Amino acid sequence: MENTESVLPQVCKIIHIPEKPSFLPHLQPTVNMLASVIEPKDANTLVRKLNKIAPLENLQHVKRVQKKSIDGGKPQLSLLLCMIVGNDCGDDCMPYEILELVKSFQLSTFITKVCKYAATSKEEWDEQCKLWPTSYHPPTYNISGITGFSEEESQSVFSFMRHTINLATSSIGQVVNAAVIVDPSTKQVIASACDQVISSVSLANGVSKDGSCSNYLENLKASNLENQQTSLLDGSISACVHPWQWALRSSGCWHPLRHAAIVAIEYSAARDLQLFPDHKALSPLKRQKIEESGFHSNGHSYQSLRPYLCTGYDIYLAWEPCAMCAMALVHQRVRRIFFCSPNSSAGALGSVHRLQGERSLNHHYAVFRVILPEKVFRNKVVDGKTSGSG
Amino acid sequence: MEDFSHTKNVEQPVPTPANFAVLNNNQMTSYAKETFEFMKLALEQANDALANLEVPVGCVFVEDGEVIASGRNRTTETRNATRHAEMEAIDFLVQQWQKNGLSPLEVSERFSKCTLYVTCEPCIMCAAALSYLGIKEAYYGCANDKFGGCGSVLSLHTSNSNLPTSELASSKKGFKCTGGIMASEAVSLLRSFYEQGNPNAPKPHRPLKQHV
Repeated sequence: MENTESVLPQVCKIIHIPEKPSFLPHLQPTVNMLASVIEPKDANTLVRKLNKIAPLENLQHVKRVQKKSIDGGKPQLSLLLCMIVGNDCGDDCMPYEILELVKSFQLSTFITKVCKYAATSKEEWDEQCKLWPTSYHPPTYNISGITGFSEEESQSVFSFMRHTINLATSSIGQVVNAAVIVDPSTKQVIASACDQVISSVSLANGVSKDGSCSNYLENLKASNLENQQTSLLDGSISACVHPWQWALRSSGCWHPLRHAAIVAIEYSAARDLQLFPDHKALSPLKRQKIEESGFHSNGHSYQSLRPYLCTGYDIYLAWEPCAMCAMALVHQRVRRIFFCSPNSSAGALGSVHRLQGERSLNHHYAVFRVILPEKVFRNKVVDGKTSGSG
Repeated sequence: MEDFSHTKNVEQPVPTPANFAVLNNNQMTSYAKETFEFMKLALEQANDALANLEVPVGCVFVEDGEVIASGRNRTTETRNATRHAEMEAIDFLVQQWQKNGLSPLEVSERFSKCTLYVTCEPCIMCAAALSYLGIKEAYYGCANDKFGGCGSVLSLHTSNSNLPTSELASSKKGFKCTGGIMASEAVSLLRSFYEQGNPNAPKPHRPLKQHV
C-alpha cells in the first residue's frame, strides 16, 4: 500500500504505516503443518495431548481445529498435529509422540498451509481463514486514526500538513525538514521548528560571510541529482535525509544534530516549563502522599492537567524522520506521527528501520503518511528555487 | 521517563564488526587501565545525576587521552526526554568548538578522534547521533535491552557503506563499540534509582514494589 505512489496523487490521503511490512492479503507468508481428519469424539483428548507434546508456540493465532461441513451438512473435524520438519513427510518427520498418537487413533495425515503471522486487518484474516482458521484480535492499543479518520479529522490533518510543508519550503528559501507538534484535542500548535543544522538566521539574514553556504547547497543539489526520485520535495536538504552530510556546510551558526523534530521537542519542553514553572520533582514519599490524597489537594491540582512530556500530542513532519529523531519522539511520548515524504536513505519509520514495530520500546506511536496533491508542493518548490530536478 | 529497569549486566563485550578478541570476565584486566579510569569518571557523572533525581547515566568524551567533555542525564530538569548524557556532552563540544572558530569540517575531524565512555549502552537516538557525528569509538557499561542502538535493538554503530567513494567523506562511517566495562557498577546505580522511584515517571499502572 505504501509504495504505490508512482502516479501523481490527485487527492489527499492518509495512509497508516503499520508495525510490520504489509503483505497483500492473499500473499501472506505461510508454513506447512501436518494435520489429520479426526473423529469428533476424539477431539478433546487429542487437543489436550497435542497442546502438551506439540504446542503451537509461535503460531498462537492459529486454531488447532478446523470444522468444515461436508456434503449433507455433516461436520468434519481436522486437527493440526505439528510443524513439518524438513521436506520429508514420511513417518520420520514426525516427533515420536505424534507418531504414537497417529498410530493409536489411526489418523491419516495430510499437509496443510497455515499463515505464519497473526492477521493485522479484517481483510488479512478473511484470507487466512481460507487456508486454515486463525483468530484475529484488532490492535489492543487504541490510537485513533488506525482504523480510519472522520472527514473532520482528515481535514484537520491535511491542514496541519499543509502548514508544515509551508514551513519546510519557505523558512530559508530551501526545502528543509519541518516539525509541528499539535495537541489534537484543542487543535493547538504546541511547538514548531525547522532544521537548524544550517542556521536559518544566518542564511535568511545573509550573514554567511563568504557565500560558502551556497557551495554546500550546490554540493547537495549535485548529490541529489544522482539519485533523483519523483519526490514532491526533491532538492531538499532535509537533515533527516542527509544526516551524515552536515560537515559539508561551512559557516554561520550550525549544529549537526539540530534536526527539526529535536528542536520542536526542545521548544515544547521549554513551553511546558514556562506554563507550569512550579512543578518540582517530588520526593517519592511526598508523591505517594499526594497520590493517596486523591491528587487534588491544594496547589497540586493543575499537576494532573500538565501533560507528561508530549503524551497525547501529534507531530507533523515534512519528511519521514531519521533514527535519531524517530527515537527522540519515542522518548518524548508523542502519540501519532504524520509525515509527507518517505526518506529512503535514512528513514526510521518504514524506509530503512521501522521503530513503530520494535516491540521492546516502552512507548509506541502510530505512524501515518499524508499524501497531498502534487501541485501544492510543486509551486512551493519552484518558488523556493530549489527544484534541482525540475 | 527513560526506563532502564531492564538493563543487563553485560558479562562479555558485545561483538562489534572490528572487534578484537571477545574477552571474558577474567581477561577484563587486559583492557588498558585508562579504559577503567575513564569509565569511573563517567560513573561519577551518573552519580551526580542520581543525586539530582535524574536517571543515573553519565559519560565522558576523550580525545588524545584527555577528557574534553562530560555529561549526564538532564531529562527531568528540562522536561525534555532527549537530554541524555551523550547529548549534553555533544552540545557542549559543538558550542565550544564553534566558539573557537572551528569550521564544520574541522569539527567533524575532531569528533573522528573522540572516544566515548558511557555507563549504559547508547539508546537508538544517541547511537544514531554518534554515527552522524562519526566518532571513533565507544565503550559502555551495561547493555540496554529495550532501547539499545549499539547491538541490543538496532546496530547503528556498524557501517554498511556501499556508497561510491566520492560520497564516503560525508557518509555513514560506523564506530567501534565495546560493552561490559564496569557494568555492575552502572546497573547498581540504575537499580538504586528505580528503587527510590522515578519521580518524573507517570503514575504507574501497578503500585511500586515496597522494599522493607
